[in-house]
Amino acid sequence: SIPSSSDAEQLPGEQHARSVLRESFLRCLLAMANKKIQFQMYERVKVEATFRASDIDVLNFQVSDLHTPIGVQKEALIRCQDVISFTFDA
Amino acid sequence: MQCGWPLLGPLQWMRYVNKQVKVKAGKDEERRGWLLTVDPVSASLVLVNFGEEEGRASVQVVMGHAVEEVEVLQEADEETTERLRTSFLPPETRTLDP
Repeated sequence: SIPSSSDAEQLPGEQHARSVLRESFLRCLLAMANKKIQFQMYERVKVEATFRASDIDVLNFQVSDLHTPIGVQKEALIRCQDVISFTFDA
Repeated sequence: MQCGWPLLGPLQWMRYVNKQVKVKAGKDEERRGWLLTVDPVSASLVLVNFGEEEGRASVQVVMGHAVEEVEVLQEADEETTERLRTSFLPPETRTLDP
């Protein structure tokens, strides 16, 4: 993403903060792999699936056994733009 | 905090880490939890709620694009900070010391 400050003095601190936050987020994604996830999507849609992977930009999630109202989709990609939030038990 | 959440940047997001927050996202929906981290790429928030049982936690990730408002409720005490810090660490962290 775009640096929020062009101030050169602030840059190392900002980059450090960015790396700390990202590492923690990636560990969270790792912990999510192969877990049952409940997705809350727009229009009050709620679906459940087994989380497999995310791409680096967090644009798509690869999931298995996606429980949709018309049946179970063995493998699927979920567009992150369609998701409001998702939950799982760690 | 009103809107513009994805534009805040790492230094501002850092100020919300280890705080209990209330997040508005989607239509009138509200979520609460301890903020573990914010993904600097997607601005998504990771909220943790600890269960009664030791080592159990429910994790909620709110996508950055859906966030409407983030409000700080309280700061974490030492115990909560430690639980947050260790919640997703690999079981065995290899040390580089000889």
